[in-house]
Amino acid sequence: MSWRRIRTLIWKEFTQLRRDPMLLRLLMIMPVAQLILFGYVVAVDIKHLDTAVVDLDGTATSRALTDAFAGSGYFTIAQRPASESELQPLLDTGQVTVAVVIPEGTQQRLLAGQTAGIGVVVDGSDSQISSVASGYASQIVARANLERLSELGPGSGSPGIDARIRVMFNPTLDPINTMIPALIAAILMISLAAIMSQAVVRERESGTLEQLFVTPVRPSEYIAGKLTPYAVLALVQMGIVAAVGTLWFQVPFYGNLGVVLLGLALFLLVCIGQGLLISLLVRTRAQAIQTTLFLMLPMMILSGFIFPVESMPEVIRPFTFLIPLRHALEVLRASFIKGSGFADLAVPLLALAGFAVLFFGSAIAATRRRITE
Amino acid sequence: MTDDPGLAIRGLTKSFGEIEAVAGVELDVPRGAVFGLLGPDGAGKSTLIRMLATVLVPDAGDAEIFGLSAAHSPDRLTPRIGYMSQRFSMYPDLSVAENLEFFARIRGVPKPRRRERAPELLESMGMAPFAKRQARLLSGGMKQKLMLASTLMHDPDLLLLDEPTTGVDPVSRREFWRILADIHAEGRTVLVATPYMDEAERCTHVGFMDAGRITHSGTPQELKDAIPGTLLEVIAPDPRAVLAALRDQPGISGAHLLGNTVRVLVARRLADEAPPPGSAVIPDTVRDLLPANAEIRPVEMDMESVFSHLAEEAAA
Repeated sequence: MSWRRIRTLIWKEFTQLRRDPMLLRLLMIMPVAQLILFGYVVAVDIKHLDTAVVDLDGTATSRALTDAFAGSGYFTIAQRPASESELQPLLDTGQVTVAVVIPEGTQQRLLAGQTAGIGVVVDGSDSQISSVASGYASQIVARANLERLSELGPGSGSPGIDARIRVMFNPTLDPINTMIPALIAAILMISLAAIMSQAVVRERESGTLEQLFVTPVRPSEYIAGKLTPYAVLALVQMGIVAAVGTLWFQVPFYGNLGVVLLGLALFLLVCIGQGLLISLLVRTRAQAIQTTLFLMLPMMILSGFIFPVESMPEVIRPFTFLIPLRHALEVLRASFIKGSGFADLAVPLLALAGFAVLFFGSAIAATRRRITE
Repeated sequence: MTDDPGLAIRGLTKSFGEIEAVAGVELDVPRGAVFGLLGPDGAGKSTLIRMLATVLVPDAGDAEIFGLSAAHSPDRLTPRIGYMSQRFSMYPDLSVAENLEFFARIRGVPKPRRRERAPELLESMGMAPFAKRQARLLSGGMKQKLMLASTLMHDPDLLLLDEPTTGVDPVSRREFWRILADIHAEGRTVLVATPYMDEAERCTHVGFMDAGRITHSGTPQELKDAIPGTLLEVIAPDPRAVLAALRDQPGISGAHLLGNTVRVLVARRLADEAPPPGSAVIPDTVRDLLPANAEIRPVEMDMESVFSHLAEEAAA
């Protein structure tokens, strides 16, 4: 390894990058724009959900409960059907997304010191809406109970209203706050894959790779020369995206910054290595783009980015360990939300380090193979 | 050929799948020669050059270049080689000066030498005003000169040039060869593949390659002397019609255009009947094929005729 040659290669890459303002824009602005766009899509604050209330009780208590729903701002009472049987068509046609059923005798039961059940039905076809709606509904009922208890005075012993919330169509829900850290990783992966996959094949197409073979440049030097400038860029990109992601969307951060940075840095290295490897193995730029597209979708789906790994069929689950993004998500989600430390996340962190070694080792080997056609 | 070791190629072989691109090439090139590698498309010229440049590893055989093995010690050899591939292979988004700087730095040319050599080369090639221009914006001829300059930055002893003037305008081609003459004068060895026979005339040595083998090699004069027959020059109002009339006629082993004249290679059998070269008497069989007003005179053999004769011989 000659530091002088690596430095020369790095100088060359940076000079080329400077000449390509489009690429810099792609690297810096696109991910932020995507993050904000996708962030709003996944994290939008849900308000004014159209709600149907079936008040079969028709008492002061039931009216107070209805007002509590309406006054929260999250629910708009759009329909007041007379019977439960009218609810199904309203939910089916999407005229309402939430239905509240207050059974007859609710007030009576409460006064008798019994638990009174009310029904809340949430349209779960959109997991974000349903998770928020059911969360708000239970909060409203809890507050209503609290108010009633304080009115009655301490020691009344009444269990109060029990909200039985049923989410229709999609019972598994994912909290929003796990989405932003995951988005950060996924967006970095996509933008780096797109850029790195071009890095070597561009030189193959322009013939400069062949020219470099007639110089003393060694494969490891060549890879180091490619990696360094892009790693610097990726770190800057990561900083911007992570800052925008957490500050703009005010994602609570309970974790250890060291763990998050190490996890992200290792993941960036893996992404760069993966892109370099694709770029070394394909023959044309078009092939590089196709290969990248072809790999990205299964990676996104199998990583648990959208669908939790736990809900995947047993046969599929072992394969998810082959997806670097899965380990990155594990590190990011756990450290953002649960505040997990190095010890808790040793396995995914080591897995990421392993992928980095594997990809860069293969990249050097692929460069050494030289050109055979 | 001199005793000074230049290139000694022995049994060099390379296959791509089923196709044997280079099939046991045997060739000696003396140090300081300008060696023209001739041959039809697909003869294996590029593959041979790429093996000499250590870009490709041979399947069998070896080439000793200045006593160093191309197959076994590429790292010791590459500092002494300048290789110019057939395609443009500089960084299109780097400027002329940056390309020269990059390839020289990668090869470990010390800074003072780089600072001196780059302007000197650009000056001698008439490229000094374009030093700051990005390579992608250069004309075809300029691109070729940039590549040549880049291969010269580290003062190589051997230049391997793969069809450096293909697709370049005639003026630029002539200039390119003027630069090669300077390089030759500096004592460097040049191996150049070319499809242009006028360029072959300017080489000190030539080799004819066909189907992966060097079938003939020597000085241009040696090759010309080995061709049986006489070359006639025909000046007529419609040279293309004359050329068409002569094609595939018995006793005519080749015909080509040179400027406004047609050059006819008359086979030995016929030439023997004719008076010695220089005389104005032309065999009747040829005379009959030409318009009455055509002016005909014997001329010295040219490389174009050598090439078409050898190509036909190889095809037969």
